[in-house]
Amino acid sequence: MKQDVFQARHEAEWTALERWLDLRARPPAKQRTHDAEGLFGDLDFPAAYRRVCQHLALAQRRGYSVLLIDRLQDLVHRGHLVLYRPHPPRWHAAIQFFAADFPRLVRRHWRSMGVAALLFFGSFVGVVVALQVRPELAHSLFEPAELAKFEAMYDPAQPEAKLGRESGSDVKMFGYYILNNVSIGFRTIAAGFFACIGSVYVLLFNGLFLGGIAGHLTAIGYGGPFWRFVAGHSAPELLAIVISGGAGLQLGMAMLAPGRRSRGRAFVEAGVDMAKLALGVFAMLVFAAFVEAFWSSIGWMPDPVKFSVGGLLWLLIGLWLWRGGRGAAHAA
Amino acid sequence: MTLVDTLTLVETPEGISLRLRAAGMMPRAAAWAIDFSLRLVVIWFVSLALAVLGDLGVAIYLIVLFGLFWAYPVLFEVLMDGQTPGKRAVGLRVVNANGTPVGWVPSIVRNLMRTVDMLPICYGFGLVAGFVDAHSRRFGDMVADTLVVHVDHHHGYSSAPNVPAVQSPLLLPAAEQGAIVAFAERTKQLTPERQQELANLLPQLTQARGAVAVQRLLGMASSFLGRH
Repeated sequence: MKQDVFQARHEAEWTALERWLDLRARPPAKQRTHDAEGLFGDLDFPAAYRRVCQHLALAQRRGYSVLLIDRLQDLVHRGHLVLYRPHPPRWHAAIQFFAADFPRLVRRHWRSMGVAALLFFGSFVGVVVALQVRPELAHSLFEPAELAKFEAMYDPAQPEAKLGRESGSDVKMFGYYILNNVSIGFRTIAAGFFACIGSVYVLLFNGLFLGGIAGHLTAIGYGGPFWRFVAGHSAPELLAIVISGGAGLQLGMAMLAPGRRSRGRAFVEAGVDMAKLALGVFAMLVFAAFVEAFWSSIGWMPDPVKFSVGGLLWLLIGLWLWRGGRGAAHAA
Repeated sequence: MTLVDTLTLVETPEGISLRLRAAGMMPRAAAWAIDFSLRLVVIWFVSLALAVLGDLGVAIYLIVLFGLFWAYPVLFEVLMDGQTPGKRAVGLRVVNANGTPVGWVPSIVRNLMRTVDMLPICYGFGLVAGFVDAHSRRFGDMVADTLVVHVDHHHGYSSAPNVPAVQSPLLLPAAEQGAIVAFAERTKQLTPERQQELANLLPQLTQARGAVAVQRLLGMASSFLGRH
């Protein structure tokens, strides 16, 4: 078949598809009374697209002109982007993700999570214990000015003051915690890319830093206000740090030990899990920021309430990560 | 031998090949610079508007800052056909390595990995990776399995001028017929002088020079296209 005959025969289909692609975006599909101005229905699009794909293959095989092939290529490319577009986010999928998929994913990477927990809680507890035995070690961890700042924040002699901050209202601190803590969580995850080094560093650094503050304040007798402040948000925040560290470690393992896959393939597979873990970490840290800003800072709350709420959160989040998604019909 | 070319052919389930032209680091940096300035402008206006709200304003400002840094690229890439405003301005698009539009997970991965690509300063690792990689991928693109490609601008199709068919004096192979048809289809974009200059390159075929040669070539294109 000569090019002109071919073109004359199919021109109508091509212009219809072109127009349909132009019109697809406006007005939005939901408000449309009929599909794309009566060209053809949305349901007919895949068939129309596949026919044009076939025309392109024919045109290439028969050596038709470059411009015609370019035009069909362009049409096919636009159709391809529409046909294979990602579906819009669904509430059901989001609930399913947080209720089941995320805890399952954390358990599936239990080795990385275990190592991350060991690095973080190990260094944390180690420093706390060390500072009880030899309090002067605090001066090799922190500058004197830093120590003075921490002491001012948790001074038991000022019971009226807001707990755990120098200044700033609850809502302002909420914004600050979102920006600061979630960014740290995300960076911890990505930092594992180079052979886990970044994630290990962040885990150890945070373990030593937070353990140093906790140990020092406890050693000098300021432990009361401090533990009262951190009890509430400690569970979501610390566990989120551990999970982001674990996510970074599993990403780094794709470089260190890709197993029977190529490194590129291993990275792509680790990347999918990394993104999902990052979403979970994001949710946990937003929750932690909320608790930290609006609950932990309340000074007058009696100790039993503070500590039982903190304990309850540890229990609930622990249960969620341990049992969430067990026995569901399909695996993650 | 591998061809030094950024063109990637991706076979689709429909049995055809999509042509993806990976974008180099220069246009990508330009797109990034546009996005960056856009975000600066937004944050500046937001800070002006929220100054009256006191602490609540500061909180909103910080959350907007967070959103502009982490969510801005992901939301635009997934919801606006793989294009942030900067990429749209430069004519770039993020797609999966198989040519399909980028989804939530790959977009989150490639934007989380900016943390690594930014190191040590000014996207140093990302630039080096992009210069080494055949498809100009930074680390984020490698882990997410995505490509940044040029958007093909559709120039509008012009068919060959409809002139009476002229039989070619020589029997031409398909590729050479294709070249003559391509010449005919492009005449509208060429000045008459340039048309004649090109037609003059084929004296054996046209057996003429100047405007006559152009007309003969157009006639041959008509005959190759199957017109009478």
